[in-house]
Order: sequence, then C-alpha cells, then structure tokens
Amino acid sequence: MKLLLEHAHVEGIRYYDTYRKHGGYRSVEKAFKMTPEEIVEEVKKSGLRGRGGAGFPTGMKWSFLAKPEGVPRHLVCNADESEPGTFKDRYLMEFIPHLLVEGLIVSSFALGSNATYIYIRGEYAWIVDILEQAIAEARNNGWLGKNILGTGFDCEIYVQRGGGAYICGEETALIESLEGKRGNPRIKPPFPAIQGVWMRPTVVNNVETLAAVVPIINMGGDEYAKIGVGRSTGTKLLSVCGNVKKPGIYEIDMTQSVEEFIFSDEYCGGIANGKKLKACIPGGSSVPILPANLLLKTAKGETRTMSYESLSDGGFATGSMMGSGGFIVFDEDQCVVRHTMTLARFYNHESCGQCSPCREGTGWMYKILKNIEYGKGKMSDIDLLWDIQRKIEGNTICPLGDAAAWPVAAAIRHFRDEFEWHVLNPEESQKRNYGLAHYADPIHIPATA
Amino acid sequence: MKFSEEKLNKAKEIMTRYPEGKHKSALIPILHIAQEENDGWLDVPVMDYVAELLNIKPIEVYEVATFYTMFNMKPVGKYVFEVCRTGPCMLNGSDDIIEYIKQKLNIKEGETTPDGMFTLKPAECLGACGYAPMMQLGKHFREHLTKEKVDAIIEECRNGAKVY
Repeated sequence: MKLLLEHAHVEGIRYYDTYRKHGGYRSVEKAFKMTPEEIVEEVKKSGLRGRGGAGFPTGMKWSFLAKPEGVPRHLVCNADESEPGTFKDRYLMEFIPHLLVEGLIVSSFALGSNATYIYIRGEYAWIVDILEQAIAEARNNGWLGKNILGTGFDCEIYVQRGGGAYICGEETALIESLEGKRGNPRIKPPFPAIQGVWMRPTVVNNVETLAAVVPIINMGGDEYAKIGVGRSTGTKLLSVCGNVKKPGIYEIDMTQSVEEFIFSDEYCGGIANGKKLKACIPGGSSVPILPANLLLKTAKGETRTMSYESLSDGGFATGSMMGSGGFIVFDEDQCVVRHTMTLARFYNHESCGQCSPCREGTGWMYKILKNIEYGKGKMSDIDLLWDIQRKIEGNTICPLGDAAAWPVAAAIRHFRDEFEWHVLNPEESQKRNYGLAHYADPIHIPATA
Repeated sequence: MKFSEEKLNKAKEIMTRYPEGKHKSALIPILHIAQEENDGWLDVPVMDYVAELLNIKPIEVYEVATFYTMFNMKPVGKYVFEVCRTGPCMLNGSDDIIEYIKQKLNIKEGETTPDGMFTLKPAECLGACGYAPMMQLGKHFREHLTKEKVDAIIEECRNGAKVY
C-alpha cells in the first residue's frame, strides 16, 4: 500500500508538470472547497499521528492552535531530520518535493498560516535548492502567492536552513533557531500552539506528517483511517539502515510482521552477507534496542508487527517504539557496547547544555562507555551507567535527556553480559566481538544452535 | 570583509522573509553565506560584519555561531571531509574509512594538511544512514564510501573540484 511513494519512481516527478499530471495538487483544489474547520476534522478522523517520533495525533495538535483576533499564525515544517537512523524526510523532499509543498498549502489553509516555514537541517544544503525550485514552480502555477485560485487566501512558503544541531528537531528549540538564536528548548507551557515563533500561535509538524495530509484530503479521513491497524492508521515511511541486504526507504501500512519486514525480498531482503540477525533499534537511535528474540516475538510469544502498538508492546522492559521509523539492524558481528558508545558521544555532542543532568550526564556516559569499549572498564561502571541514565531521564526541559538515557538503559537491560564480557576480557574484547550469544533470532535459528 | 553585491542582495532578500522587525531570523542563513565567502570559517571581523548587516549586537552573532556545528571557528582546509561516525555508519565500517583518511592524508581528526588542502572533521549523524559510510564534502554527500572512492575523491579535490 503506497500513498506517499505511489509515484516516487516516475521519471521527472520532482518537477511540477509531471507531478501535476500524476494527480498532484488535487488535494488543494478539494481543500479550497472546504472550510478550514472541515479540513481539521478530516485530519482528526484520519487518526494520523505525528511522524517525527512522538506519535501525537495531528488533528488534535491542530485543534489546540490559538486564534486570537488580529494575531498572525504560522505553520512550521520540521525538516530538521537528525535522529540517527532516520533519513525518510530527506527522501521525500529530495525526490517528491511537490508532495510536501502540496501538503503545506492545504495545511496552511486549514491553520490560517499566510507565511509558512520549512526549517531544514543545514547539512541538507542541496535539498534547499530542490525545495525552493518546487516552491517557485508552485507559485508560477498559481498555487502560492496572493489570493490563491481566487479564494482570498494568501500563502508564501520559505525554506530556512539550520546550522547543524540535532536539538533543533525539538519543536521549541526549532522555533528559537528560526528566530535566529541558539537552539535552546523553551520551558512548556506556554506551548507553541499558544506562543510559538515570534510569540505567535504556531503549529510545528514533521515533513512526513504534512505530506500525509495530501492523501487524507484526497481520500477522506475515514478512508485513510481504514488503512493500517488499530490506532496505527495510514502508512508509515521506514528508513532502514545497518546490516540488511536492501537498506533504504519503505512505505508500509503497519500490518506486516517484523520478521516479514526484515527477511522478505519485498522489504529489507534479510541480513547482509549471509549473517544472522542480532538486534535492532526499530525507531531511531533514541528508542530501546531489542535483541532478536524480543524483536520478532513479544515477551508473551506473540508475533511482533510493525505498528506503533506492537513495537511498544511490553513497555521498555521488553518492547521498544515506532519513533521516527529509523530502523537500524545489527548482524551477529556487531558490538552493542561500541554502538552504544557512539550514541552516547552523539547525545553528548548534541546536548544544548541548558540542563545539568543532560549536559553533564551525557558526557559521563560517553566517558564510561569509552572506558568499557577500550578495555579499561570496571564492573561497577555498568551500575554507574545505569544510575546516571536514571538520573537524566525525566529531569530535563526537553526530551533530549530521555533520548540519551533510553539507548544506554536498553543496551544494559538486554545486553548486560556483553558489557560484562568487555570488562572481564579487556584484551580479547579489543580483538573480537562478543557475537550472537543467546540473543539469537528464534524463528530462523533453532534454540539449540 | 564585505559581501559581494550578489551575496549582499541574497542576504537582503532572506531578511524580507520574516515579519517586520524579525529580520534577526535571517542570522543562520546569512552566516552560511559568510562562511562560504570567508574560506570556510568565521572569524571575528566576519561575524561583526554580519551583526552590522542585521543591526544586532555582535554577541548575538557569536553565541549563535559557536552553538551550531556547521560553523567553523578556526581556519579549515580548502576541502573539509566531514565523515559520519555515529551508530548506523559505524555498523557499516565508518571507523575504517576515518582510519584510512588519517593514514592517507597523514593527519589526525580535526587537523588540516600542511598544504591547506584537506581537513578531516569527524561528524555526527548526517542523515544518510542507509547509504553508509558517508561524508559531507561542501554542499553534497558522498555515500557508500570505500577506500577506492576516498582515493578518487582526494584526486578530484587535487584537480580543483568545485564542491559548493
């Protein structure tokens, strides 16, 4: 089932004429015959959940937007895709930029935003050109500007390039950055829906979320909600990386089993180089890593599927999260300790420094993990790591603290013996990796192997 | 330091994208222009010029420039190899690529070759995880890196490749 990527492989789909020929901008024509309230209602009915990572219902977020008389409102598109393992928004913007522009026009109309901003991570420098070209084409064809299609609605879309800071994916940090400041997250409340960019009511949505508004308006919220399973409605883009045969972007309706997603030729094609599956981080680096046995089946022994609910089945004790859809697969030769160390370094580098638990804690976690990885760790370090991550989680202004704590917690929770092996075998651990141990995938490898 | 007329017009156009009086929002995009115009880094006179352009205090520019990773506070080589080393790239051998570049160019991480041609700047996740290992070189990504590809990129740079 493809809604967003339906025409992704059509030659020239990046350009207006081809995009329009394949049904592009129909949702704008339809939306302009509706009231803004009716559009919000369709999005609510669709059950669409924010595709950036948190999974908050989009329609509900939209309905919180304050509308004080005489105060302009803004829609801001969060294209600061920086969560390790995640590169789906990049794909959408690079290859089907008009889908985002179309979604932005409909959403801007629904929210009453006359100036809409796409905040894109600074490293995606060439994509700025692609988006600006698409916006210019849309304007030349009458979809943007003043009094669009005679509706009386004015709208401009601007692309704003960031400076290379993961934290700016957090919506209030993004707003600060858009105002030309350091990306320090704000204390909430007030929420952006009340006081956002330039203290005006603001909605910040992820690229994929805004692109999904196009099929929702085209087919209607109720029809969209029929796709998927339970509260995981519609389709979700997964960006797959790590040790699979076919890394890349996949659009799924969330009904597939994790096993099918990893091993079938339709999706990832199995583990690369004939190796075995060891572990997976299913939703971007912040969400808990799962060993193969808990990944393919839940703790209750049920088949785990690619939905928001099933991926989080078992809570953090035995489950994980859909997150941003950054699906990172580990083969049997990968070292969980080293991977966790790179993530700790990442979060330490990216902490904005406002809150001491995060600023100091991420640095300590990195240093301790580096010691363990390089054969200088102590057994007590593992408990110390556990203690630090607990003291970061929930004690910071923004979720970066949690995002830094969770991967360390999950690695210790599920792979403690690998950490202990590093400590007990400081020399051997420099020469070889721990291997598969007892994490083996229960479907493809017999338990006795 | 002053922007060329073309860059100055670009900067002024960017400033019009925001509501009246909110032109400070243009700071980060303008710092990108300034860095490109100043051999890839921002020194104090450049940041002061940007402050003047936006009619804000110099400290407002310094605090932003030092916060964001893409802005270099020290001189860099003509070509900066920003090689990603975060988890997903690590799983696909980015450590070997970084090691190879260090040997080949005889520099450590963060250093520039004596001829001022190359800087190796290890980077955190750049959003190319499925095409790992990778590096950013100027405006674009170089993906699926191998030692042979690194050799070819170095050769390309020595022949004067344009990367912006």
